[in-house]
Amino acid sequence: MSPYFGLLRALPFLLTLFASLASSEHTSNWAVLVSTSRFWFNYRHLANVLSLYRTVKRLGIPDSQIILMLPDDMACNPRNVFPGTVYSNADRAVDLYGDNIEVDYRGYEVTVENFIRLLTDRLDEDVPRSKRLGSDAGSNVLVYMTGHGGDQFLKFQDSEEIGAWDLADAFGQMWEKKRYHELLFMIDTCQANTMYTHFYSPNIIATGSSELDQSSYSHHADNDVGVAVIDRWTYYVLEFLETQVTSANSKLTLGDLFDSYDETKIHSQPGVRWDLFPGAEQEGRLRTVVDFFGNVQNIEVENTTATDPGSLKEDLIEIARLVEKWRARDREYLVSQNDSSLRAGNDNSGLQVSLSPHSARKNFEPAKMSQEAPWEKRLVGASVLGICAAVWLTGSILGRSSV
Amino acid sequence: MIVLSLFPLFLLVALSSLTYATSDYHESLTLQPLPQSSLLASFNFRSNASQESFDERNFRHFPRALGQILQHAHTKELHLRFTTGRWDAESWGSRPWYGVKEGNTGVELWAWIDGADDQECVQSSSDPCSLDAYADEDKRAFAKWITLTQSLSGLFCASLNFIDSTRTTRPVASFSLAGDHPASSNLHLLHGTLPGEVVCTENLTPFLKLLPCKGKAGVASLLDGHKLFDASWQSMSVDVRPVCSGPDDCLVQIEQTVDIVLDLDRSKRPRDNPIPRPVPNDQLACDTSKPYHSDDTCYPLEKTSEGGWSLSEIFGRTVSGVCPLGDSQSSEETICLRVPHERGVAVSEGAVETRKPDGFTRCYTLQPSGAFDLVMPEQEATTHVPLDEPVLRAERTIVGHGVERGGMRIIFDNPSDTDAVDFMYFETLPWFLRPYVHTLQATITGRDGIRRQVPTSQLIKETFYRPAIDRERGTQLELALSVPAASTVTLTYDFEKAILRYTEYPPDANRGFNVAPAVIKLGGHENPIYMRTTSLLLPLPTPDFSMPYNVIILTSTVIALAFGSIFNLLVRRFVSAEEAAALTSQTLKGRLAGKVVAIRDRIKGKSAKVE
Repeated sequence: MSPYFGLLRALPFLLTLFASLASSEHTSNWAVLVSTSRFWFNYRHLANVLSLYRTVKRLGIPDSQIILMLPDDMACNPRNVFPGTVYSNADRAVDLYGDNIEVDYRGYEVTVENFIRLLTDRLDEDVPRSKRLGSDAGSNVLVYMTGHGGDQFLKFQDSEEIGAWDLADAFGQMWEKKRYHELLFMIDTCQANTMYTHFYSPNIIATGSSELDQSSYSHHADNDVGVAVIDRWTYYVLEFLETQVTSANSKLTLGDLFDSYDETKIHSQPGVRWDLFPGAEQEGRLRTVVDFFGNVQNIEVENTTATDPGSLKEDLIEIARLVEKWRARDREYLVSQNDSSLRAGNDNSGLQVSLSPHSARKNFEPAKMSQEAPWEKRLVGASVLGICAAVWLTGSILGRSSV
Repeated sequence: MIVLSLFPLFLLVALSSLTYATSDYHESLTLQPLPQSSLLASFNFRSNASQESFDERNFRHFPRALGQILQHAHTKELHLRFTTGRWDAESWGSRPWYGVKEGNTGVELWAWIDGADDQECVQSSSDPCSLDAYADEDKRAFAKWITLTQSLSGLFCASLNFIDSTRTTRPVASFSLAGDHPASSNLHLLHGTLPGEVVCTENLTPFLKLLPCKGKAGVASLLDGHKLFDASWQSMSVDVRPVCSGPDDCLVQIEQTVDIVLDLDRSKRPRDNPIPRPVPNDQLACDTSKPYHSDDTCYPLEKTSEGGWSLSEIFGRTVSGVCPLGDSQSSEETICLRVPHERGVAVSEGAVETRKPDGFTRCYTLQPSGAFDLVMPEQEATTHVPLDEPVLRAERTIVGHGVERGGMRIIFDNPSDTDAVDFMYFETLPWFLRPYVHTLQATITGRDGIRRQVPTSQLIKETFYRPAIDRERGTQLELALSVPAASTVTLTYDFEKAILRYTEYPPDANRGFNVAPAVIKLGGHENPIYMRTTSLLLPLPTPDFSMPYNVIILTSTVIALAFGSIFNLLVRRFVSAEEAAALTSQTLKGRLAGKVVAIRDRIKGKSAKVE
């Protein structure tokens, strides 16, 4: 009796354990790293983002799965005495720009519209893969933002701003479109914690650098660079990531990361929001840091014999059909091309016919201007004017006579 | 025309391109010291793929990433340029590759796109598609162009997607096909520039990834963003074109070049400490013959010797071997140096030196593996490599004052005393700069310094003009010009600046708006010479961007005031102080007294107030 009873009591616990294991499975990692400030004196915001970029790359997320948004050019800025280099520390030990960097959105492309389009994938079909967030229902997404903000807004390039509601709706839509599995939102700006107050979609853990009415401060300046090089909160987050999370196998959890916040060092009160996460703080704290910063790839195995819609077999058949179709098209295209080149080679009249559309070209291409005899034009103008005057005169005379 | 002393070098390159046309990959580096302690380094990488393998998407040396984009966008010929800095023609002479591999400041792209319809139309050759108006074809070519710019923006990490209809032009005579295309093909030339685009490491990274050796081996291993973007001038180019030796024997060729002018003193600074420090007193070279020379006064002595440098010093690296993908790499002269033959040069062991008969060129064949370094010791300079004069000097500036109007002034200077120079001048203007073409005027200044106004028809042979449409397309102006010998021609025209809408201003509107440089093409189709002027910055009238907020605040205040007073008038009674006291007092006496006061007021006619 008693062993059975014990098993019964343990069953719910075991079930929840399995459930949590199953739900923590993700199949890909994506990172969206956004700086929103232009101009040289905001060097630190780009350094913040580039530090995070280096960290996630170090922990295994490839460039193709990192969306990096840099609104200004600091590395090749004429004011930079270290060309091609961005430093986030006055010791200048690590060159964040390095030799291998891919910036996906830069300069004027970093706008609120592009950012929301990126998150919700409402992009033109021509937009290349490197500028898209290709996450799916199995992706853990890290969103890091930094810039100048205020109560429930974050400025983009000093000219527009994104509101806390906009961001919440964008994440809401991402959830509806199954574009993330779990999402870690990090923001380093003044009054940062107000930015995540309106989030409503599930599976989000959010953390910010400062409370309402608090500023986020920069950490230190480099005298040769001439400006502040990093913000305090990012500096201490990075310190944790660089010194504690040394490999992609690290077992450190988000709880450890958030516990490492030291208000006396950060000079503001960082915040964490757990309530959207299933199991709230208790479960959220157990997520490892590399669940979001690393590239842990769990492979989803599908039943290959199944033929229901969306199965692997069906996809393979469809792909084979497409390949066959394209091959056939290629062949036909080549044949037709050969035909046309033969035709053009055989007789000159064919060539002339093919050239004839050129005459219609003139309305598109720049027109060639020619010298005209001005007297002709003047004559035409004078006669037109004369006719008008005559019409007016006759009109007025006739009108008078009728009265 | 003019003695082109660089010509043998380029002939050499052209010859080698012929000999190695069968080889699939070729790379070379030419180093040439320039005056003012500068060094021109020209990198060239060329890969070939046969047309069949390219069509079958079978890529070997040709970069797959680019090949697929070109096929998708039906692009038959592509030219892409990333340039920063200014070529100082006064001291450096004419441009490398005759300016053919150079681009506008920022990014410049032009491509020949096949406007033919997709397969559906080719199949049903009967009507609607084959008879389609040119407009449809043009539209299709433009749609492919947009696809191309979007895809390239992803590949090269540049904002090429900003090349929209307002920045796209269709030059008539300034660019010509560089490749061999079938006569039947109906290709459309589209051209776009981004003069304000920054060129930085993120553009170099994908550029190097296109190379078969990815910049890990061969001369490309010298390319380091930290040095490249510290240069006085640099230009990266990608050219894809078909090369045919027979009707069925075609190659798709990709040629990538990097040309940089490095400031030797600047490049030699260590990367961790690039800030120049003052030279210690005892290391100063002073002219002791000056009467005021003393311990604390120094007249700097002009250096007669050429400063020494080495590859590892100025590039921060050595050449790591040879890219092993070329078939004939072992016997190829990869690195060439243009210095007088008497100049001492030390190279790493194993490299074979060949001296060319022109007296200024020596080339090195590298060991397949192992580092290669080249050291030029400091040496007294006796002879210099002659630099050729540019055939034409051009300068373009915005003149005038105020925010409403301005003028453009273009100065062409022909240094030759005997020959006139004929060339095409091509410029694109953004739509918010509205030129008045009727104000186009020309003046000629001879060597005597006398200015003469001449009719423009005397200098301008042909004009191709496409006026701008607001927010749709920019102005395009192409002029066939002729500048007489030993004279300077100045063209001027006036323009008006448009006022943009509030949302059309960029975040840094007060910086000004970039106007793309003008392109000048000299010579015929066979051996063209290109020049580009500097890009311009146009200050536009910018609003006070806090104005909407001011307006909102002011309007709200006015509304609040108006509403408040009207509301008050409607719902409140206005009475005198005595009345109010009486009305509020509850005693009979008080109320009576109040009534009395009210009656007295009425008799006196003071009851005008609303009761």
